[in-house]
Amino acid sequence: MTFLDLARKNAWRKPLRTTLLIVCIAVAFLIHGLTASLLAGSQGVSAASDDILGVMSASGRGQPLPMAHRVRIAADPDVAAVGYMTRLRGFVDVEKNVVPISAVDPALLMETNGRELGLTPDLLEAIGQGRDRVLVGRALAEAEGWSVGQNITVTAFQVAKQDGGRDWRFVIAGIFEGESASTDTYFTIARYDYVNAARAKDKDTVDAFIIKPRDGISPGVLAAHIDALFANSAAPTRTQSEKQFLEAFLRQYADIGLIVDLVTGAAFITLLMIVINTMVFAVRERSFVIAVLKTLGISRMTILTLVLGETLFMFIIGGAIGLALARAGAIFAGPSLGLVFSPVVLLHATAIVLVLGLATGLVPAVNAMRTPIMKAFRAR
Amino acid sequence: MTPAAYIELKEVRKAYRIGKEDISIFSGLDLAIPQGDFIAIMGPSGSGKSTLLNMLAGIDRPDAGSVSIGDHRLDGMGERALSSWRAHNIGIVFQFYNLLPMLTAAENVELPLLLKPLSAKERRDRVGKVLDLVGLAGREKQRPSSMSGGQQQRVGIARAIVSDPGLLLCDEPTGDLDRVSADDVLQMLNFLNRELGKTIIMVTHDPRAAGSARRTLHLDKGQFIEAEKAA
Repeated sequence: MTFLDLARKNAWRKPLRTTLLIVCIAVAFLIHGLTASLLAGSQGVSAASDDILGVMSASGRGQPLPMAHRVRIAADPDVAAVGYMTRLRGFVDVEKNVVPISAVDPALLMETNGRELGLTPDLLEAIGQGRDRVLVGRALAEAEGWSVGQNITVTAFQVAKQDGGRDWRFVIAGIFEGESASTDTYFTIARYDYVNAARAKDKDTVDAFIIKPRDGISPGVLAAHIDALFANSAAPTRTQSEKQFLEAFLRQYADIGLIVDLVTGAAFITLLMIVINTMVFAVRERSFVIAVLKTLGISRMTILTLVLGETLFMFIIGGAIGLALARAGAIFAGPSLGLVFSPVVLLHATAIVLVLGLATGLVPAVNAMRTPIMKAFRAR
Repeated sequence: MTPAAYIELKEVRKAYRIGKEDISIFSGLDLAIPQGDFIAIMGPSGSGKSTLLNMLAGIDRPDAGSVSIGDHRLDGMGERALSSWRAHNIGIVFQFYNLLPMLTAAENVELPLLLKPLSAKERRDRVGKVLDLVGLAGREKQRPSSMSGGQQQRVGIARAIVSDPGLLLCDEPTGDLDRVSADDVLQMLNFLNRELGKTIIMVTHDPRAAGSARRTLHLDKGQFIEAEKAA
């Protein structure tokens, strides 16, 4: 037997109580794991680059920019490549089934962030086979059950065609995987020339330019430089990194970070109170055990460590179960919900497990440590 | 300290505050016990028997005076030093055994050895020998709840002697036992005293138990009022 065994046996002295506490901890960490995965994977933010810049209208993301800006941006010596895109949000079958489409020049997209999206020469060739060809991200393809060669019709929310209709027909030419699991692949890449030719208005405009700075160039400095270039033009710009853009985009709907903090904060505070309360009673209940250990010569610090070890033991088991379930949830539902259980999420959650385990054990542990032996015996 | 005194109390004063009143337990208690003795301490409730035992165990302190055991002055030691001293120098046998219910008999006995630099095998060997000594070989895996009072007290004694302390403090060791079990326990204490040379201080209300000690001290109102040799 070791002191670790002793802590474990103390924890399992009341199996039902300990099991319920572990379930409680597991649920709290399941909530945390899922919400943190949602934050980490919030439609690609975690994988979005700080180096790739997006240039949008300073008047708002709904305002288009003239294609003519591209020439001036490309002329900047600090720019390695510049692409462009226009959005075509629509739905398939029912309005709730939203399908995002980015209409781009595939070759230019390949230069700017083809690596991050997992674009290959074969995919580029496939989309080049016809103007109505599209590449679908893996997450979207799985969610919709689409496969290569399939014809799809997307009804645009806003972008109307010249004939007045809003149904856009495409043929799936390929599926792109994304560079990593956290890359957003829940969208479709269409050809700008097809969309631009067919749309009724805003021709020869784009929603954003995508810039890849040359090596060694600070994205922040370049962003300021580009905005200065168009500051006095009819269409001033606002340049941000891809990551900043996505975060700002998400904040338009909700501050997901704040929501995650509030939800997990509430869960953890409740958990903290439940566990502290239960542990204080559990330790008080076996005051005589503490007293016996002290009379045997076990030091106050060892008593403190034993009680802390007990709560830590429960937190490690409960936390591991909760996080394993969250990871399983992210694997099975991740592609459609945008959950990414990244190593950072795991590391962060592990740190919380340890901190909460120690924090909740501290009050009962200090009580146990400080209770005089004679008083502890009387409490039996 | 005289050369023969292993345990020595000098001018010990102790009072407890109950409400607004100070209740004096000892007002200048002296005691000297040589190594290897077996003393029974008797006396009415409130005479200070338990307080004396607690002071000898280093879990209570005198308000004044000195408590010395061997080369150690307990009244001047800090908490940490007292814990370490208890772990290495004394064994305590309780009236209600105070075994940890979630541990087996062997694990209860092994507890004091966790503080010693011994390997798991050395600990197991020593626990096996001590359980054999108290007549509980083969019951290592039993939990206290499945043992009789006498058996539990033997586990308590095994736990008290497993780290080979020089002094055993017994607080009413037969108080919760039937006569047969009580006799077994007293025989065992006698064996530990006579064969293994342990110094034993036993607090008891039971004259039969006191009769098994070498000497009996009667404590009343904080003073030893008589001393007698056991038959």
